[in-house]
Amino acid sequence: MEQMEIEKDLQTRELTLNMGPQHPATHGVLRLVLQLDGETVVKCTPYVGYLHRGTEKLAENRTYISALPLMDRLDYISSMSNDVGYCVAVEKLFGIEAPERAKYIRTIMSEMTRISSHIIWLATHALDIGAMTVFLYSFREREWLIDLFEMTCGARLTVSYPRIGGVRCDVSREFLDSLYKFTEEFPKRIEEYETLIDQNRIWLQRTKGIGVISARDAVHCGLTGPTLRGSGVSYDVRKHEPYDAYPFVDFEVPVGENGDVYDRYRCRMEELRQSNRIIRQCIEKMPDGPILADDAPDLDMPPEGRKRLIPDMSLSHACISLSDECEHITPAGEFYSPTEVPKGELGFYIVSDGSGMPYRMRFRSPSFVHAAALPRLCKGHMVADVIALIGTIDIVLGECDR
Amino acid sequence: MTLRDIAKKIFFLEILKGLALTFRTMINHPVTRRYPKVKRDPFPGFRGRHAFVRDPETGREKCVACLKCSIVCPSRCIRVEYKETEGERILERYEIEALRCVFCGYCAEVCPVCALVLTEVYEYADYSREHFLFDREMLLKNWDDFSSGLKTDTYFNKFWRLEGIDIKRMPVGKRLQEPIPIKHEEKVTL
Repeated sequence: MEQMEIEKDLQTRELTLNMGPQHPATHGVLRLVLQLDGETVVKCTPYVGYLHRGTEKLAENRTYISALPLMDRLDYISSMSNDVGYCVAVEKLFGIEAPERAKYIRTIMSEMTRISSHIIWLATHALDIGAMTVFLYSFREREWLIDLFEMTCGARLTVSYPRIGGVRCDVSREFLDSLYKFTEEFPKRIEEYETLIDQNRIWLQRTKGIGVISARDAVHCGLTGPTLRGSGVSYDVRKHEPYDAYPFVDFEVPVGENGDVYDRYRCRMEELRQSNRIIRQCIEKMPDGPILADDAPDLDMPPEGRKRLIPDMSLSHACISLSDECEHITPAGEFYSPTEVPKGELGFYIVSDGSGMPYRMRFRSPSFVHAAALPRLCKGHMVADVIALIGTIDIVLGECDR
Repeated sequence: MTLRDIAKKIFFLEILKGLALTFRTMINHPVTRRYPKVKRDPFPGFRGRHAFVRDPETGREKCVACLKCSIVCPSRCIRVEYKETEGERILERYEIEALRCVFCGYCAEVCPVCALVLTEVYEYADYSREHFLFDREMLLKNWDDFSSGLKTDTYFNKFWRLEGIDIKRMPVGKRLQEPIPIKHEEKVTL
């Protein structure tokens, strides 16, 4: 009561604080405008768009196969998953089925990306909260995976490896051997990270009971991926709408209980173990065979089909002329195709007019939706918790702003 | 709260465990490299600086000005000009803007005569933008730089004939392409 009276006398007022876009803990160029009452956040407004490159528009002017390198740059730390998601979507449009071996390779690559994305998430999230050692250890394992990417496709980060109807090139024996060695080693490394932070009292105080979101709210906000599963909703595109080789492998979808930062952290740590399991199974089951479907489009596919021939029957023009209409390369229409990327559900909504270029392409990117959930998560927490909350929703601004 | 939990709380057990791990790591072999002094060789097929393959027979580039690379390029950074005489295309100008390039390797993959290559050179930072506009001569010079550093006698880029892809999908020039012989200048030792 006394406190209230003192505040009344002092006539305190709210403070507006700009966090970002150059703040090191905002994971890119996210700008948050915080209304503060003392140290408590009253209102949080995220502003996005500082990294807008117009990927959707750029894709409209490129053939389906030339637009693939753009997808690397959506979520640049899990580029392989984006490419796989795009290829799965375009394959549905073309009506192509990737060969068995290509499906297994793509599943391996997606899961490798999931591991590398989750460990970079763990690294930066822990660094934000104050645990430096985890950051250094995580990059050690990430380097191994990125070397493996380089061995296969010649690039470390922006891979452009999957191809519509399969993959770009076959994986080598050394690749599979090295990866198998990694899967044997990696569970020990996960235990190391957990030794450092799982029971650490500072970590627990910073994460337990922070940013609680109920299952109902999480679904209403449109959260997906581990951010949703931390609230106890078992939704995973890999299980519910399986693509590639996911129907053939055995894995679990880890879920949390309370929906706080700690549960989401536990969820992602369990996902690392499950991804490891999937990779092992895929290597063991990997069949031989082709890696590119026979009817897959070539790299230099035409932007539009051949002009239709129309016989001119009038007497004055006894010849064949070309019509303005083109033959359809792809079926016209529109559809949506979801895939599970490390951050959540990445969906491609493609409108096709029959030509070799998409008429309109829209991405449902998890980071954008997750950033929209920040005001609800931040409300009533301290400024220091905002950092933990930006980390826990796992956003990459390249994907958010597109 | 059990006795065990209280003991954990008082004696900082979880923090001591973490510290034990970091101390163990301290005596392990370091995983980092001292970069400018110690360099790691990139894997074969690394997508680095662009180059025109110098044809060992003619000593010039092999480009036939088919324009496939400029059509397929997602960042539209390749500009080709040619003139046509007696049904044959003669290359007049060829430019790659390396600063716009996204290094997807599509150009090297689509080239029907294996003229273009993304070499394994990755250290080519410079102070001015003009040096990143690779024209014909510059691309050939890039090849000379790259091939002089090679240790093998022949060179065959991974993207010219990708492993596992049906050879029927490729044009004849790619099917018949043989590894490029590399001439090494013999060092005179006194």
